[in-house]
Amino acid sequence: MVRISRVMLKNAGHAIDKTLSEILVCPLSKQPLRVCEMPKALVSDTIGVSFPIKDGIPCLVPKDGKILEEVGDASKAS
Amino acid sequence: MRRINSLYLRIGILKIVVGKPTKQPHTSLASLSFSTSGGYGGGGETQQNNNSSRVKIFDRDLKRRDRAAWLSRNKNDTFVDAVAENLLDRLEDCKKSFPSALCLGGSLGAVQRLLRGRGGIEKLIMMDTSHDMIKSCRDAQHDSVDKSIDTSYLVGDEEFLPIKESSVDLIISSLGLHWTNDLPGSMIQCKLALKPDGLFLAAILGGETLKFVRDAGNLLTRAGFSLPGVDVDEYVVKYKSALDLIEHLRAMGETNGLLQRNKASFLSFCRIFFSILNRETALATAAIYDSMFATEDGTIPATFQVIYMTGWREHSSQPQAKRRGSATVSFTDIQKQFGGQS
Repeated sequence: MVRISRVMLKNAGHAIDKTLSEILVCPLSKQPLRVCEMPKALVSDTIGVSFPIKDGIPCLVPKDGKILEEVGDASKAS
Repeated sequence: MRRINSLYLRIGILKIVVGKPTKQPHTSLASLSFSTSGGYGGGGETQQNNNSSRVKIFDRDLKRRDRAAWLSRNKNDTFVDAVAENLLDRLEDCKKSFPSALCLGGSLGAVQRLLRGRGGIEKLIMMDTSHDMIKSCRDAQHDSVDKSIDTSYLVGDEEFLPIKESSVDLIISSLGLHWTNDLPGSMIQCKLALKPDGLFLAAILGGETLKFVRDAGNLLTRAGFSLPGVDVDEYVVKYKSALDLIEHLRAMGETNGLLQRNKASFLSFCRIFFSILNRETALATAAIYDSMFATEDGTIPATFQVIYMTGWREHSSQPQAKRRGSATVSFTDIQKQFGGQS
């Protein structure tokens, strides 16, 4: 039980933890990622792709990336 | 894609006496090792010549003396644990600590479990292409998982490394990189992700000929690593039957979550075996294999060759080889100076 609450505290209020936020970049463009809190995702604005965060784990494989096709999508993601 | 039809097998020369029969399909492990690079030795000394510069960072002579002790300590470990342990041992040889480390998929679970505080790692980032694999690493309740290390998890691909340049001190990959389609590209990305004077440590399954070691050395150099080092270990694993061996290989592939991704890569690196995709073929060849290669006690020995690669991200503190042809002193001069004996 203590273990679970420690994980929650570490990510309190953030989609990804501090360590990852400092080193993660877009796997395709190598540009910085923007953290989106709702729905939890990491967005690569340079190429317009959003990568999901499943169960607290960022999924940064190219095939998991979703192309943000419309301006509508982009504003939904921010 | 290369179809592996040859029955490559080396009957184990070095056998370890197995104490008790275990439930695991592979029951014993023996290791022969030979280092083809002359570059390892005691710490701090420098060897320089025009073609390569290899600083003796790792004390391999010490390692050889300890190897017998290590083998007897670890004879009940699985093959995967033995490789991870060998890799992690090298951190102790190194007079440096690595506050942040990236652990790439393959047997990353074994690396995390066996780390035991080596290398002075404070932040550990675990990465694999399989979400299930990462989840199971995160959820694993191992007593030996160090809770003082700040561990992060992500799903990522070595070929498209989502790590910022010059951001980690250490990258470690145990039995993972041989699954990538683009090994040189993956290694270049690893080099870029390393901070200056950062270390790249990898173990990959090798082929049967020594020239593969030279290829590994070339890979390291072409990726731009400084002070590259390669050495090879062979592990003879004894299985109760050929089918157990095949299942072990399948399990190694499926655990990585990569069998689905690239059957071609998986096959091309199973140098020990022939077609294993088709169950009927597997059973048939296993039966033949059993009858041909079983030892007196009925077990099937199989040899895995593991290539260990090390490389550093360049840093001004590292010795640099001079450019070819830039020498200002000739050997003749040196001979004259020191009263040369030829």
